[in-house]
Amino acid sequence: MKLSPGVKIGLIIVLLIAFFIVLNLTGFSKEVKNFFYLISSPIQKTFWRAGNNLSDFFEVISEIEKIKKEDEELLLKNQALLAENTRLKELKKENEVLREALEIGLEKEFKLLLSEVRGKDISQDTLLINKGSKDGILKDFPVITQQKALIGKIGEVYENFSKVILISNKESSFDAKIMGGDDDNDIQGVVKGKGNLKLFLDLVPQEKEIKESDLVVTTALGGIFPKGLLVGEIKEVLKSDIQPWQGAKIKPAFDVKELETLFVIVNF
Amino acid sequence: MKKILILIPFFYILTLFQTSFLTHFNIFLEGGFLGWALNLILIAVILITVFDPNTKIGVGAAFTGGFFLDIFSENFIGFHILILVILVFFIKFILRKYVRIPIIKPA
Repeated sequence: MKLSPGVKIGLIIVLLIAFFIVLNLTGFSKEVKNFFYLISSPIQKTFWRAGNNLSDFFEVISEIEKIKKEDEELLLKNQALLAENTRLKELKKENEVLREALEIGLEKEFKLLLSEVRGKDISQDTLLINKGSKDGILKDFPVITQQKALIGKIGEVYENFSKVILISNKESSFDAKIMGGDDDNDIQGVVKGKGNLKLFLDLVPQEKEIKESDLVVTTALGGIFPKGLLVGEIKEVLKSDIQPWQGAKIKPAFDVKELETLFVIVNF
Repeated sequence: MKKILILIPFFYILTLFQTSFLTHFNIFLEGGFLGWALNLILIAVILITVFDPNTKIGVGAAFTGGFFLDIFSENFIGFHILILVILVFFIKFILRKYVRIPIIKPA
């Protein structure tokens, strides 16, 4: 009997299937597989290590681009965080200033407006602050620090900014007194700006005794500034017999380099 | 017969290479290349059958390659053998019935 090629192939496949079913059912396949695993183990190990090393190498190359992108993202994030950090620091500073002001009871005495210094012109003895007519600022409003030290008064008002004329400005002149034990012992005088952050106490009667380190504060005379604001301390007394008045150099109570946050007294 | 004997170490090394070396590269894993894993044994069996369709070497390649694939895979022995043997017969059938390869006659 001669079989056709198609039948032959079919028969081979059926026989193969039968053989494999028997092979797998008897569990002999496990032994066969174990044998091959055993003899192949050294070659497999070599291939595995080589593949691992090579894939690591290619992975590093492909990761570089990813790392670069991540690096750029992190840089941007870092910048954003730095900006936020700076903003928070500023807020903290502002908060501390307000706390200090609250502690010395400034808000009880005056109606204040917090402002920040935006520019300094030492040669002209002026400052620029970030509050203007929009915030209710008017000309001649006094400007102080949170320690109640007098800075000056508003010279010019813009919509969003104002120019502060420091008390050391040459055009500045106001009544002041040297603090004594009580009101009767107070020595009255006039503080004049000499320019370049210099102050001079003038028109002090000759018979009055003033000494270094005495504190100079404002008086209510003239109505320019509220009374009791610290102007500075006597640095050097200038007394001459031929002159009717004695004078003194004053060291301002504020350090212009440190000025960042100021208060504008809008009502006193 | 000699050719089939050469196929045994060839497919043995190729299977080890595929299962131990190429598994580290995504293109040879499931879903690596257009959703399919590249199978070197399959490619080798197809190429052998296509270039030598008139001998039994294709079936021998399918049997040997399939056997080693089954040994080094989780499937039962016979799974890949059957698939590859059927594939070889199918390729032979297609080539015999529908494909005519032009032969350049010597002058």
